[in-house]
Amino acid sequence: MSEHPNDYIKPELMACCGAREIQDGDIVIVGTGFPTMSANIARYTHAPNAKLMQESGVYDARPLRPALSVGDPCLNPGAAMIGGLVDVMGMFLQGGWIDVGFLAGSQVDKYGNINTTVIGDYNAPKSRLPGSGGANPIGSLAKKVLIISLHDTRHMAEKVDFITTPGYIDGPGSREKWGLPANTGPSVIITNKAVLRFDKTTKVAYLESYHPDTSVDEVVKLTPWKLEVSDNVHETEPPRAEELKALREILDPFRMIKIYEKRGYV
Amino acid sequence: MSKIMTTQEAITRFVNDGDFLFIGGYICRPPFAAIHEIIRQKKKDLTVVRSNTADDFDMLIGAGCVKRFICTFISLGLYGLARCFRRSIEKGIPHKIEIEEYTNLSLPLMLMAGALGMPFVPVKDMVGTDLMKIKSFMGDNKYKFIDSPFDGSPVMLVPALNPDVAIIHVQQADEEGNAQMWGIGGDCKWGANAAKKVIVSCERIVSREVVGKDPSRTIVPGFKVVAVTEEPFGAHPGYTPGFYDVDFSFGYLYQQASNTVEGFQAFLDEWVFGVKNRTEYINHYIQKFGYEQFKKLWAKFDYSYPVSYAY
Repeated sequence: MSEHPNDYIKPELMACCGAREIQDGDIVIVGTGFPTMSANIARYTHAPNAKLMQESGVYDARPLRPALSVGDPCLNPGAAMIGGLVDVMGMFLQGGWIDVGFLAGSQVDKYGNINTTVIGDYNAPKSRLPGSGGANPIGSLAKKVLIISLHDTRHMAEKVDFITTPGYIDGPGSREKWGLPANTGPSVIITNKAVLRFDKTTKVAYLESYHPDTSVDEVVKLTPWKLEVSDNVHETEPPRAEELKALREILDPFRMIKIYEKRGYV
Repeated sequence: MSKIMTTQEAITRFVNDGDFLFIGGYICRPPFAAIHEIIRQKKKDLTVVRSNTADDFDMLIGAGCVKRFICTFISLGLYGLARCFRRSIEKGIPHKIEIEEYTNLSLPLMLMAGALGMPFVPVKDMVGTDLMKIKSFMGDNKYKFIDSPFDGSPVMLVPALNPDVAIIHVQQADEEGNAQMWGIGGDCKWGANAAKKVIVSCERIVSREVVGKDPSRTIVPGFKVVAVTEEPFGAHPGYTPGFYDVDFSFGYLYQQASNTVEGFQAFLDEWVFGVKNRTEYINHYIQKFGYEQFKKLWAKFDYSYPVSYAY
């Protein structure tokens, strides 16, 4: 039985939820922030043989400070291999070798489709966002996709304004129809309120666990689609002592993770 | 034959209004010396391409040099959305650029196809999403969807790209243009080799003998190169592995400046139009922020073991 210190902040809990999705030996493609923290927590706890990649071309980096972009200087010295986009996105991702991909979005919907392109109409946008980058291919081709989102009606939607990255698209059978590889697709949405998984039949995200300071009712109210609740719904396990130790002592000694509190992850 | 020249001469001779340019680097080795020179020379109607982009492309868009952008992603990273890009798309300032959107898998492969002389390349991403619905200046040639002639399964094909000119920044090159690079590659190698002409900007010019001591590091052979320019700190505020770090505070300065049209113009007046070349730019940096701040960017030395190619 693990110890659960109660002085954690919400982004730490979310990072730990991400870590628990990673199995030993997984090949994980990460961006910056949560994904890197989650994957590294996993490496320092239950998954010492998990390996990380950045789309820019880096495999098994050994950064001495937190990377602030996939092109960050600290990813270079110590990596096991450095190539480029064709190597990581082509050879490894399209080649079918990536077990886990992490994505965040400005908007995510009930099928796990993600929008990072535009809020409003594409041709007359309310807000123009950065675009796909590596998100679409990761969502298309990684075997398991973990989605990080804020849990409110601005960031979650019945239907996203623009599908940049495919989740289950229009529902059951959609990924198969488009020829996306079998056994790929979103696996979980980790929010600041809850952990949602996808129903095997309907492909709609349902509530698996709610975080300690909230409730089933609150999460249902904050979700813009009719949120089904698992028969086994439970409180999310808080960060374990060993997870927090890896995060605070090794991975993020300056607690840069606190910036996520300012971004609303509370 | 020596192709060494100034950046000013290289951009004057080899970049024309209306050209299709690949510009390499993402945070790692963006060729900022050349980008600033393109803005100084007021080149216009350019079509530009690269996967992930940041302040470098944002600046070209804000300065009015870009007509069309084949893109996957643009942001100021840590500092949020790209301001000039947003103003162009949302408000038509200084004009609305046309964008054709791909991804960090499909676009690098389109450049690879161009480099390999292939007409198109099959890709497994983009399908089923709204990226299929949006077509801009490439029209129906953005992609084609076919049944594989081999097994009948659905396949997306995307066209090869062959830019008129590629501009890249690397660690070192010789006078003929054999260009050597190490560290994060992005789509630099394929973009450069897809282009008809390559301008190589480098931290240092080395002899052909030095290149020959470690030829596996060469990403573009001299015969494709039309100009070699020596630009120490040429990627600032980006970084070059082994030479200098990212300048995060300058990134913040750019974000603050580019928040408004006036601020962006003042930034260009100070850092681009206010200096004649990269040497003046570095001198201005040192005058403004001090030598200590400049020195803080310098990379530590951590050499790899020497390699031997002897037999």
